[in-house]
This record gives sequence, C-alpha cells and structure tokens, in this order.
Amino acid sequence: MKVRSVKLKVYEWMISLSFIICLLSFSMACSHAPKDVLQSNELPPIYPDYCDVTIPENIAPLNFLLRADCEAIEVKAGELTLNANGNEAVFDIDDWKALMQQSADKEIEVTVTALINGTWKQYKPFKWQVVSDKVDPYLTYRLIEPDYEIWNNVQIQQRCVENFDVNALGHYEQLENRCMNCHTYANQDPKLSMMYVRGPGGGAILNRDGVLSKLNIPGSVYFGFSPSGRYITYSTQKIIPAFHSLASKRLEVYDAASNIYVADMQEHRIISSPLLSDSLKFETFPTFSPDGKYIYYCSADTVSLPHDIKNLQYSLVRISFDESTGTIGTQVDTLFSERSVCHPRISPDGRFVLYTVADYGTFPIWHPEADLQMINLQTGAVDGLSIVNSEKSDTYHSWSSNSSWFVFASKRDDGLYGKPYFCYIDKDGKAHKPFCLPQEYPTFYDNNLKSFNAPELGKGKVPFDVDDVAKAMKKQSVVFK
Amino acid sequence: MKSGTLSRHQLKSKATVFLLFTFLLLSIWCFFQFWYPYHFFFQEQNQLFLWSEDYISSYTGAGWLAKLVGDFLTQLYYYLYVGATILTICIALTGTLLYKALKNFKVGRVVALILALVVMTFLAICHFSTSYRLSSTIAMTGWCLLLWLVSLMHGWKIRLMLLALGMLPTWLLFGLPEVKKLQGPDLILEKDFAVDCEYYFGNHDKVIRMVEGQDKWTDQMLFFYNLAQAQRGELPDHLLKFTPNYLGTFEKIGPETPMLTIRNMNELYWALGDMTFTERAAMMTNVFSHNNRNVRMMRRLAECNIVSGDSLAAEKYLRILDKTLVYSRWAKNIRQHGKQIYQKKIQMVNQRDTISITDNAHFLMMQLLDTNPDNTIALDYILCSNLLLKDITNFKRDYDRYCIDTGKPRLKPLYQEALCIWLAGTNAPQEEWEKYIRRADVFQRFQQYNEQRGSTQFKGSYWYYFDKIKAPEI
Repeated sequence: MKVRSVKLKVYEWMISLSFIICLLSFSMACSHAPKDVLQSNELPPIYPDYCDVTIPENIAPLNFLLRADCEAIEVKAGELTLNANGNEAVFDIDDWKALMQQSADKEIEVTVTALINGTWKQYKPFKWQVVSDKVDPYLTYRLIEPDYEIWNNVQIQQRCVENFDVNALGHYEQLENRCMNCHTYANQDPKLSMMYVRGPGGGAILNRDGVLSKLNIPGSVYFGFSPSGRYITYSTQKIIPAFHSLASKRLEVYDAASNIYVADMQEHRIISSPLLSDSLKFETFPTFSPDGKYIYYCSADTVSLPHDIKNLQYSLVRISFDESTGTIGTQVDTLFSERSVCHPRISPDGRFVLYTVADYGTFPIWHPEADLQMINLQTGAVDGLSIVNSEKSDTYHSWSSNSSWFVFASKRDDGLYGKPYFCYIDKDGKAHKPFCLPQEYPTFYDNNLKSFNAPELGKGKVPFDVDDVAKAMKKQSVVFK
Repeated sequence: MKSGTLSRHQLKSKATVFLLFTFLLLSIWCFFQFWYPYHFFFQEQNQLFLWSEDYISSYTGAGWLAKLVGDFLTQLYYYLYVGATILTICIALTGTLLYKALKNFKVGRVVALILALVVMTFLAICHFSTSYRLSSTIAMTGWCLLLWLVSLMHGWKIRLMLLALGMLPTWLLFGLPEVKKLQGPDLILEKDFAVDCEYYFGNHDKVIRMVEGQDKWTDQMLFFYNLAQAQRGELPDHLLKFTPNYLGTFEKIGPETPMLTIRNMNELYWALGDMTFTERAAMMTNVFSHNNRNVRMMRRLAECNIVSGDSLAAEKYLRILDKTLVYSRWAKNIRQHGKQIYQKKIQMVNQRDTISITDNAHFLMMQLLDTNPDNTIALDYILCSNLLLKDITNFKRDYDRYCIDTGKPRLKPLYQEALCIWLAGTNAPQEEWEKYIRRADVFQRFQQYNEQRGSTQFKGSYWYYFDKIKAPEI
C-alpha cells in the first residue's frame, strides 16, 4: 500500500512537471507583436555589430542581441520576421538558409523593433548585402586565454561557418594538456595541412589525405606550404615575452633571433640560404606566393632588445624560389617598409598581399594600433582598409580559396579577446565592412573567456580528428636533415 | 497489530535511526560551518556560474545535470551558513535515499543504517579536499535516487529491468562520482584560506587579529598579514614581528607556479598599483581555475581595467558578472561608481611606458615609485624587501632615491635602525648621521645595542635581525 502511494505520487509529480514545462514553453513561444511604435533615427545597438555588413550566401544565421534592457524584440529581415521575448534575435536555420538563397547578390533591409520600458521603439533600418561569392565553409582556430604565456585546456577547433557545428582537431584531454598551435592548410585544402603539438615528444603533425605523421622540423614556428605541397617555408625563433609598464599596452613578444628555412617534405631535408638566416637581421612570417615562385616574409635590422623595441621595424620583402629544383634565390626585394609589417598572406589568385602593420615589433596581437593593409600586386597600390580596421588589434588573417573573402582576428570589442571577422573583397578589390563569426547563442562572445587565435579558412572538413592526432603523437618522428 | 500502525519497537527503531541521522548530519554541519567554512569560500571564488542560456548549454556529456546543479549551488557558498547547509542537505538526501532503498530491498534496519551512515561519512570526508566538487556528491545522490526508484518496484525482474533501463539515463544525468584518495581535514590550509578570504572581504583588522592569535604561521598567513599592515601604512612597524617573514616580493610566476601563489601575487600587484601585472596574474589564475573561470578574478579584472582606464575591457568582465546571482549588484555599482571608488588607485597607476622581460617585483616597484613617489605601499614593500634580505646597500640606495631625494623621509624606527647599520658600517661623518637619523631614541638604543650586541633584549630591532636571524634565500 505504502509503496503504491509513493509510486502514485511520483506519477503525479511527473504529470505536474510536464504541465509546467508545456505552460512555460507556450508562454515563451507567445511573444509580443509591436504596436504604437516610436520611430528612432539611431541604428540599433546590436551585438555583434551586423549593421550594413556584406555577408556570403552560405553563412550561418547572424544571430545577435540588442544591447538594451528590452522585454521583446521583432526583427524583419527581407521577408523573414522574427519575434522573441528578451533581447536576443535567434533565427531558425532553415528560414535563414531560405532567406540567403532568395537574396543572393541582393540587399536585405533589416528592421529591429524593441519593447523598452513598455514602449515599442523601431530603430533605423540597416542592410545586409548578400553575395553569391561563398566563403570557405570551414574555419580552424585555437582557443586559448589571451595571456598566451601559459595554457590549460587548449583546443584547436574546426567550425563549419554554414551552421554551428564544431569539432576538435586537438583537445587537451587527449593530448596530455599540451600546447597546440597553428593549424594551417596548403591552398585551403583540408587534405593537406599541418599543426604543432608542443612539449616533450611533440612535433609537427602533418595531414596528407587524412594520414597523419609526426615531423621533427627543428625549431619551426610560423610556416606556409608551397602550392605543390612538397615544400614548407618556416621560421625559427627564440621568442621572448616582455611586459609593458603601461597597463593599456600589456604584453610584448619579440624574437631574440629568427631565421627562415625551407623544408622539403618529400626528401626530408632542410634548405637554407644566408639571405634568410642573416645574423644581422630578424626574418620571420614566411609564406609562399600562390605560384610558388616567391617566398614573402618580414625582415628587420637587429636592434638592442628589449631596450630599443620601438626601433624594431619589419619590412615586407620577398625572395625567389624554384619549386622544381628547391633552390632559394639570391636577391631580396623590399615591397613595403613603413611601420612594422607582420603576417603577409597572398590571395590565392595572386592579386593581393594582405599584412598587418603596427608601430613596431613582431607581435601585433597586443598592439591596439595594429591594422590590416593590402597591396595590389599588379598596381602596387596600398589600401589602408579603413572600413576593415578598428581602434584595437586587427591581425592574423587567412584567405578564402576564391580570394573573395578573408578572415582575421580582431580585438575590437573589448581589446582582449580575439574574434574571427570576415571581410569581403569584391571584384574591384574593394573591401567591405567585416562581420563577426555568428554564433548559435548571441551571448556567446560576452561569456567567452578564450581568444580565437590564428583563424584559418579551409575548403572542407579535415579528414582527421583528435584521436588520430593522439595516435600520431605516439609515432616516431620523421627527422629532417 | 493493525496494518498501518507501528509497534513500540518499530517506533523506537525509527527514533534511533532519526537520532543517528540527525547526530551525524548535525556533526557534519557544525564541522563544516565552524571549523571548515573558508573551504567553501575558496570553492565559490574559484569558479564562475552564469545565469545564461549560452553558459548553461555548455553543460554537456555524462553527468551534466550533477555538474550544473553542483556549480549552481556552489556559487551560493558566498553566503554565510549556506555552504555547510547545502552540503549537509545533499549528504542527508543521499543517505536517506540509500537507507530507504536498502530498507525496501529488505535489508535489515541495522545494516541499512550502518551502510547509509558510512556513505554519508565518506561523502563528508571527501569534501575535506578543496578539489572535491559538490557535483560529485550530487552524482552519488543521483545513483541513490535510481536505487530508491528501483526499490519501489515489486519483484526482482521488474527491479532488474528498471535498474538496467535506468543506468544509462542516470549516467547521462549524473555521471560517476569522483573517486579521490581520502584525506583528513587540512586545518592549516583552512587557516590560510581564512586570512585570504577575510582580506578579500576587506576585513583587514580581522586578518591581523587572526594571524597574531596563531601559534604557528604559514607563508600564506604572513603574506596577507603584511599586505593588511601595508595598507595601513604599518608594514615597517610589524615586519620583524614574525621571523622568518614572507612578503611575496621574491616570487616570480610562470607555468609551474601553484595557483594560490599566482592568486596571492595578484593581490600584491593590485595593492602596489601595477595593473599590467595584476591583469596578468588574474588571467593566469583563471587559466588554472575550474573550467578556466574564476569569479574572484572576474571582479579583479573589471577593477584593474577601470583603474587603468580601459573601459571596454572592464565592461567585458562586468557583463559577465551581471549574469551571476551573487555579484550582479556589485557589477552595477562598479559600473556606475567605479571611478570614484578607485580614485586613489587611479592616481597611483604607472604613466610611463617601459618594457621589461622580468616580473621581478623590485623592478616593478621602482617603476611605480618613479612615477609616483607617494605610493607608500610600494615604498614600504621595496624597503622592507631589501631589509629582509639584509641588503643594506640597496636599501640605502632606494631610501635615498625615494625618501631623501624627494624630500619625504620616512621616519619609521625600522628604517632608522637600518640606516644606523649603514652609517656605522661606512664610518659616516657626523653630518651624515644628522641627515639620516632624526629620531634620538633610535640613536640612543643603537649605542646601547653596540654595547650588548646580539642581546635578546633587542629582539624585535633590525639590529638583532641583522646579526642573528637568517635572511630568506632567493
């Protein structure tokens, strides 16, 4: 008897709970519709800032929140209307996809109306320019605290930018909480890529058609593949962290020594040149041109460090390379030498070189003045990309395979945490206002305490996962001579 | 005997069970409330729970519910009495479910009672460890709940079927309880946490009373004692009260540094007024906290960015704190009045930009004093650090630089005593003595000391420390 009565009570609780859940869901689904609307001439204070941005047809829903104490929100984007309680606009992914398909190469007018203190306020509408030039669908990045000196629970993730799917390529749990960095593709091709897993027994993990091998390339830090995938050019550096006494400047990182080499991935040999390992110069950030004929990199005269750090100025230079013989040229050409240049990346169509400029040094991540610039390699014209840059650090960029998009890490929102922003370059080479990688929850970036470090675009999903990396780590390293 | 009525024997048994349960639970509550409360504060401060859909959705995988509920409840440890109460309730629930389940399985009352009491005691012991989280106990509660639900069924077949069906959902919701090596209560660590927490709560007088009332002192206790005295401008008056003393100024932080030391350094840098290193230590503490999040450091990051004038960065952390149950009011207040609240700190901030590759505190303090010679905390720490090391030459150099050259001599007996050593050691002329030694009482005592060098009568003077006490090794 007693047992049965307890059973009955349990059932009653379950029924009551279900009823409450249904009631809550129903009340949450019933959101208000605007009436007696007041017009405003201000743009809505939405976060991320998606006002008047250019977006690719294949992007995930641009979910956002309104930075206002509002009870309800209505968003009209073209034919799509979204009503929600609270201040968050979260689009249904199917509705969004349909909207994007209908709006390719068109503009969408977006109107935000919010219920604030009992009054509906309609903000000034803004536009989304949808382009049919797609962005590469996968983005890899490292998630790490912005301090960079120490780590715990580091991950390298791959995110599909067409939806919100994320998978880990490197995860601290499987990789003994080691430091991992720099997952880079060859020609944005997921079948050929490389990343580092640091620490004792670590190395460069090379992915060739999903088969992983561990390479011991002595001292390699920044690297880039040649178009054929046979070579990588890489820099070695003795990295020194330093601290600014002025709190707003925070961390500085410089190289006490740095050189550039080429590694032949087929014959496992290192190719060097005195021009790339000059003891009176710092050479860093090497990358191949898309035709493989040049290695672009940054070079600076050595100065007394850290004392003369503000005189440490890197120029953008290049040296020829012959892929057929694996030989490095004998002449260094200077392309740009104003302020200090970092991270040159050539667009896959070879038209542009995109790089970061800072007042000095080689670590623009903590330099608020660090901005992106682009040189048209056909005309030599330098574009300051004013529509792209912000008051905070904008750096570490990667091109989409169609050269129409690039992604970069920007600290524009808080000066601390890097977030991936996408910028469209139209057929005339004009840059459009960038937008932040959309997230399923609009509060994601507000709550997030990790930087999106070294974002790289890829044409597809890489054919390996974290377990494969863990297995590769147990293999013998391929040694380079 | 009618069904539904209880015999005297049964009533007596029930009362015994109730009394034993109550006694154990009351013991647990009293112990954690009166002897171990700062462990709760430590756990509360070293996690961050956000009342946000995005954050809550991050609880995935096996045991998500236990972790979610555990972390939610842990944030409430901030309030007095709540930590011990929550833990006791969780243990009571686990024990009761287990006891009821065993009874339903027809296990003898005594055996069921012993088993339940053992499990409850075991859970309480697990919580002696700071790294043992409440979610683990809730996981245990979840499994006991399954056992109890199974026990409600009739017949072994149905029971086994329900158990088999319930295992997966229970594992998904509650996961497995963490198994840890059992340890006794760490009452020394509790005292360390006590001074740390009281300092954090702003009860500096209590910190001083707590440390002075101890028979033995750890570095942690001395660190906060000195920090509290420094804020009252009395560090040199109490430096030699405890030997060997620990200021924390000889620490450097890196990947191998324990989290508690990094967190302490955050407090030191904040007190000194170095916002670069305050932020760095706060971020490093975050890295080594539960899920790389730490609410105490969120507050500190908001504070130090307000002081350094980086309102965008401060807003980042204030927005996070807005989503906490406990600190949202604090965040609102700081957003509105931060600049007034930290007005003094803002004036102490380093205005010059220099670059260094070291986090050597002596160097940092020199930079702070070069910008603002009125930074008494930095001044006392730099001079006291020199004196602890018996580095009279650097003491004299720093004293000259920040007290004599600025025309603001700091006439603390400790400094006057140390200056006597330098003056005597260098056979300084009379005018030098007159320039530095402004306190006649110190000069007279120095003469007396020289007649009875090393006498315990002068214990507490710097001369005695200089002659008799071993300096810390760095």
